[in-house]
Amino acid sequence: MPIKGRRIFCTLVAARGVAFDAGMSYRVARSALEVIVGVALGIGVVAALDVVAPIQGLSVVPLLVVLGLAIRRGRAAAAAAAVLSVLALNFFFIAPRYQLTIADGQNVAALVVFLIAALVVGHVADVSRTRAREAHERADEAAARTREAQMLAAVAGRLLVGGSLAVERRWIEAEVARALAVDAVRIDLAPAPSPRAPESAVRLPLQHGAGWLYVTGPADAERIAEPLARLMDLAVERERIGAQAAEAESARRADVAKTAVLHAISHDLRTPLTAITTAGDALAQPGTSDADRAELVSVVREESHRLARMVSDLLDLSRIEAGAVEPRRDWIDLRDVVARAIAGVRAMHPDAVIAFELPEDLPLVRADAAQLERVFANLLENAVKFSAPGAAVQVRGAASSGRVTVRVVDHGPGIPPGQRAKVFEPFVRLGERRGGAGLGLAISRGFVEANGGRIALQSGPEGGAAFAVSLPLAPSPAPVS
Amino acid sequence: VSAPGPHVLVVDDEPQIVRGLRVVLRNAGYSVEEAGTVREALDALAVRPPDVLVLDLVLPDGSGVDVMRDLRSWSALPVLVLSAVGDEREKVRALDAGADDYVTKPFGADELTARLRALLRRVADGAGAEPLVEAGDVVIDLATRRVTRGGRQVHLTPIEFDLLRVLATHRGKLVTHRQLLRDVWGPAYEDATHYLRVHVAHIRAKLEDDPSAPRLILTEPGVGYRMASPA
Repeated sequence: MPIKGRRIFCTLVAARGVAFDAGMSYRVARSALEVIVGVALGIGVVAALDVVAPIQGLSVVPLLVVLGLAIRRGRAAAAAAAVLSVLALNFFFIAPRYQLTIADGQNVAALVVFLIAALVVGHVADVSRTRAREAHERADEAAARTREAQMLAAVAGRLLVGGSLAVERRWIEAEVARALAVDAVRIDLAPAPSPRAPESAVRLPLQHGAGWLYVTGPADAERIAEPLARLMDLAVERERIGAQAAEAESARRADVAKTAVLHAISHDLRTPLTAITTAGDALAQPGTSDADRAELVSVVREESHRLARMVSDLLDLSRIEAGAVEPRRDWIDLRDVVARAIAGVRAMHPDAVIAFELPEDLPLVRADAAQLERVFANLLENAVKFSAPGAAVQVRGAASSGRVTVRVVDHGPGIPPGQRAKVFEPFVRLGERRGGAGLGLAISRGFVEANGGRIALQSGPEGGAAFAVSLPLAPSPAPVS
Repeated sequence: VSAPGPHVLVVDDEPQIVRGLRVVLRNAGYSVEEAGTVREALDALAVRPPDVLVLDLVLPDGSGVDVMRDLRSWSALPVLVLSAVGDEREKVRALDAGADDYVTKPFGADELTARLRALLRRVADGAGAEPLVEAGDVVIDLATRRVTRGGRQVHLTPIEFDLLRVLATHRGKLVTHRQLLRDVWGPAYEDATHYLRVHVAHIRAKLEDDPSAPRLILTEPGVGYRMASPA
C-alpha cells in the first residue's frame, strides 16, 4: 500500500512537473476532483447502509466507484480511489473507528483483499478503456487519411482538367483546410516562409521554386505537403506548356496574317500598276489612234490616283496600327464634316444619290475634323459602291444617352451576320474585289477609335448595311453670346 | 473590229487593264474579244473559239484554272496566263492543267506580244510533228534518237534523251516540272523534282557551250523548263 501511495504521489508530482501544459494540469485536477467526489459518494452510501449490513459486504460499493473511475479517468485515478477508499473504510467503519489503526487481523485481510480487487478491477477497466480509445483514434486517423486522399484526388481533378493554380488557389486552400480539419490554410509561393500569428508553416517541396503551406489549427500537414507539391508541379508544367502552345499559335496566326497582307498588297498594288504600264506601252506605240490615246491617258490618270490612294491608305493603316494617330481635337459640327465628305464622294461619283438627314440640333463633339471626314468619306463611298444605281444612301443622326451617333445607311445587299465582325479587319473585302485594297473600313475604325468613338455595322432598315459611328458627348462649350 | 489578224480572247476582270490590253493587241494586229468572268470566258470560247487565249487567274466567280480544265477537255488552243506575284500556286496549277505560258503582272506590252507570237507560231509550225529539231549547232533527230552537236554525235542516256525529246516537242513552250516527270519517269514521280535538277545539269553539260549560262534549255524558277524558241 505504501508503495502504491508513493506511485500516486509520484504521478501527481510528475503531473505538476508538466503543469506548464494547461490541458494536462486541467486533466489531473479534474481526475483528482472526480476521485475525491467518487470516493466520498461511495463512503456515503456505505455509511447509509452500515446500519443494515456488515461492513465487509458493503466494500463492494467503493469497488463500483473504482470501476467507474477506471473507465472514466484511467488507471491512476482508479488506484488513487482504491487507496483512498481503503483508508476511508478503515477510518470510518473499522474498529477502532476514526483512527487509522486496525484492531482485528480479519479486517486487515479484508482490506487487503479489497485493495487487490480494486487495483485489479481498475487495471482491467483501464486496459479496455485504452483499447477502446486506441480503436477510436485509429478510426479517426483512417478517416483523416481518407479525407486527405479525397482532397488530393479532388485537387488533382481540378488542376488536371485545366484549372490554373492562380485561379484555383482559394479553392485548394479550402479543400486542404477541410481535409486537415483546421480553421484555415494558406498557400504562398514564396522562397521564405512568412506565417502570420497563429499559423504554422510547412514547406511545399516544389520542383521549381518554393512554396509554403500555412495552417491555422493543430494538424499534421507534413504528410500532404509532398503529394500536394507534386500536383502543383504538374499544374505549373501544364500551364507552361499551354502558354508555349498559345505563343506558337499566335505566332502562326501572325504569320498567316502577314502572308495575307503581303498577298493583298502585291495583288492590289499590281493591278493599277499593270493597268498603267500597259496603257503606257500602248501610248508609246505609233499605231495608236487619237481616240485610244485619250482613253489610255484617262486610264493612266485614274489608276495613278488609285495607286496613290492605296499607298496613303497603307501609310494611314500602319500609323493607326502603330498607335501613331494623334487626333487634333476641337469642337466640330458633324453636319459640316458629313457635308464635306458628301461633296467629295459626289465629285468622284456624280450619279450617287445621297440623302443628308442629320438634324439641325445635332450637338457638337470634340474630335479631329479631317480624320472624321475621311471616315465618313470611306463609309459613303462604300455605301454608294454597294447600292444599285439610283438607290439612295441616307445619312441619319441623333444624340442619346451621352453619345452622338451618325448612321450611313444603304439599301444594297447588306452583309451576312457571320461576316460583320470581319469587315473592319484590314484587307477584307465586301463582295467583289473591285476598287481599293479593303483598307477603308479598317482605317475608319482606327480613326473613330483614336477619337474616342465607336463604329459598328448594323442591319439597315430595309436589308442593306448601316454603319453607325458614335462619339461621346463632351460637356457643352460656353454658349456663344 | 474587222481586222484580219488572229483572234484573241482576253479574260480579265479589271476593266482598266483590259482598256490598255485592247489597244496593245489591236496595234499588234489581233482582233480582240473580252470576258470578265469564268462564265463569260467559257461562253465566249464555246461560241467563237479564238486563235489564242489570254487568261487572268483571279476572276470574280472562280479561277482561271477552272477555265483551263474545261477548255483542255475539248481544245488544244494556245493559252497565255496572266499572273501576279502571290499567285504562284495557281499559276503552276494552270500550267499543269495545260496552259502554254505565262507573263507576270505588270508585264511589258512587247513581252506579251512576243509570247503570243511564239505560241501562235508553234501552232502554225505544227510543233512536235517535225522529226528533226535544230537549235543552234545542236540537232535532235526524234525518229532515230540521235543527237549531234557541231556535226559530232553526242551520247545521251535514255532518260536524258527522253527529257530532251519532251522539251523539243514542246519547243518554246514552258513545260512544268510535273509534266516532265510524268512524261519521262511516270505519274508516280510527279514530285521528284531533284531528278530533273540532276539530269538537266547533265544534258546542259553535254549540249551547252556554257552550262552555267544556258541558251538551249532555259529554267523557269519554281515552274519548269523550256527549250529556247527558234530565233
